[in-house]
Amino acid sequence: MISLLRNKNEEGSFTTKGEGPSLLGLGLSLPPLLIVLVFVGLPIFIGLTFSLGFTTGPNRVIAIIGQQIHKKNHWWGTFGAYNDVIHDSRFLGDLSLTIVVTVLSTTLVLLLALSIGLYQRLIGGRKAAVLVTLSIVPLFVPVVISAWAIHTFYSGDGFMRTLFSHMGINFPTLTSTPSAIVIGTVWTSLPFAILMISSGLQAIPDALIESAKDCGASAFRIVVNILIPLAKTPIIIAASFTSIGILGSFTIPFFLGPNQPTMLGVEISNFFGSYNRPQQSLVMAFIVFAIASGIAVAYVRSNIKSARESDRL
Amino acid sequence: MVKAFKSLNLSRIGVNLFIGLLAVFILGPLFWLGLHAFAVDWHYPNLYPSGFTMRWWSKVFLDSALATAIKNSLVISPIVVLISMVICLPAAYAAGRMNFFGRKAFMIGLFSANSFPKIGLFAAIATLYYALNLMETFAGVVIIQLLGTIIYMTWIPAAAFAAVPKNLEEAARDAGASKFTVFRTITLRLAMPGILVAIVMSFLASFDEAQGTYLVGAPGIFTMPTEMYSLVQNYPIQVAAVFSILLAIPSVLLLGLARKHIMGGQLAEGFQLK
Repeated sequence: MISLLRNKNEEGSFTTKGEGPSLLGLGLSLPPLLIVLVFVGLPIFIGLTFSLGFTTGPNRVIAIIGQQIHKKNHWWGTFGAYNDVIHDSRFLGDLSLTIVVTVLSTTLVLLLALSIGLYQRLIGGRKAAVLVTLSIVPLFVPVVISAWAIHTFYSGDGFMRTLFSHMGINFPTLTSTPSAIVIGTVWTSLPFAILMISSGLQAIPDALIESAKDCGASAFRIVVNILIPLAKTPIIIAASFTSIGILGSFTIPFFLGPNQPTMLGVEISNFFGSYNRPQQSLVMAFIVFAIASGIAVAYVRSNIKSARESDRL
Repeated sequence: MVKAFKSLNLSRIGVNLFIGLLAVFILGPLFWLGLHAFAVDWHYPNLYPSGFTMRWWSKVFLDSALATAIKNSLVISPIVVLISMVICLPAAYAAGRMNFFGRKAFMIGLFSANSFPKIGLFAAIATLYYALNLMETFAGVVIIQLLGTIIYMTWIPAAAFAAVPKNLEEAARDAGASKFTVFRTITLRLAMPGILVAIVMSFLASFDEAQGTYLVGAPGIFTMPTEMYSLVQNYPIQVAAVFSILLAIPSVLLLGLARKHIMGGQLAEGFQLK
């Protein structure tokens, strides 16, 4: 296990002369860890107890204000709020929309990023640079703006309908439909995926591609048998971060999606605010977290595996 | 870099079409919204607005609530980035250069905290914020924005620090340079591009943050993105367009500053756990 923890220093030694022992490292890493423990870990833990029906202590006030609160009836709590949510037909619609959007958008983002990345790796040139630069642009646009810009672009009186009406085509109004959520999430997720995948592909040595080419391998075979397998880790990282981001997204579905069904991020906020059902709202957050954790495990495993492989090399 | 397949048989028209479609997809919405900032009025299905005007700009600048939001954003985000640097950079150095018990757990812990849906966290954090009297306070907004920067400010610089060759440092030490000089002139300088990318990403994360800021800041403290939420619902689209342009300026400036390093792989490097 120790070999997995190693930094990539050439000598393979853990500390250089003069650098502190492990206690100093632990000490230096404490401040961000404490912030995260207090302001992320603690609220999530308190929220978990609340979702299980612990309505005293820190949860006393919210339990008084909120509606349809379930109080614990076993020592470990109750699944009352979880039951509410699972049997809520609205939740089931939201959950399937969330999953469909996440899978579809992640696939589209990966396909786009892969084709641009492969084009850049194999052909390159000015056009490749234009493609990569274009796909990075959303990174620098605040999400609120992108959501609103896409909203106006595909709305009933937006650009797409205006342009197509002059050609005599009735372009559908996409704003406030699930399609607009997909457009918005692909738009905002593209830069990160491109950066990960293109740097992964660029790191593959030319010699490998050249020698395969000399042996008569077609471009397709090189992509499928060399480039994609060697860039697997960055691709998985891109996939997991993209899908986790989309799963919990709020701003894009809030501005672009339909009122019902909507994505769980918006519904969590609705249940907490408008419907005043905080317990059910937190239950949904934990369900999203459970799905995200499954994806996170894939990410961590892929990283550990690649660290192990590079150690062996 | 040798381009192995310069002659690959991709039709030129196909590539150009792809570039065109991607440009419309990415830039189209931005231009469309941007044009509205100067439009008197725009009725479907006209291709052109009924006239051009600057009056929406003066409306934004003369509205005191909007001006306050701009000021808040420009004060809060730099403070968030500074605090994030002070808290995270030493940790990033430790994670990149030292092997300590729990190092991997530390990196993964930060990541898993990041994969809890933000909106759920903001719902859960209210209890703690009331207990600590942080609701509707400046400190409360700073902390909520700080949370989104931590992963960038630790992971990216950690990879940058780890990539500094140790033999360079050792050679400088052998030549008689002091530990501090070595750190300043070699370690820090070589890790600088990574740190710069982390600063840019953290600034954007803080500057963009709307949902948490709204939850803990409103109605006392509004920043530009939270103001945008109410703007799009209460004002004509042209005002939102003006505001969008203003909101995008810092990001575009930062783009110019860090584009080379971000595209050079500093960001990607940071997200590979080592």
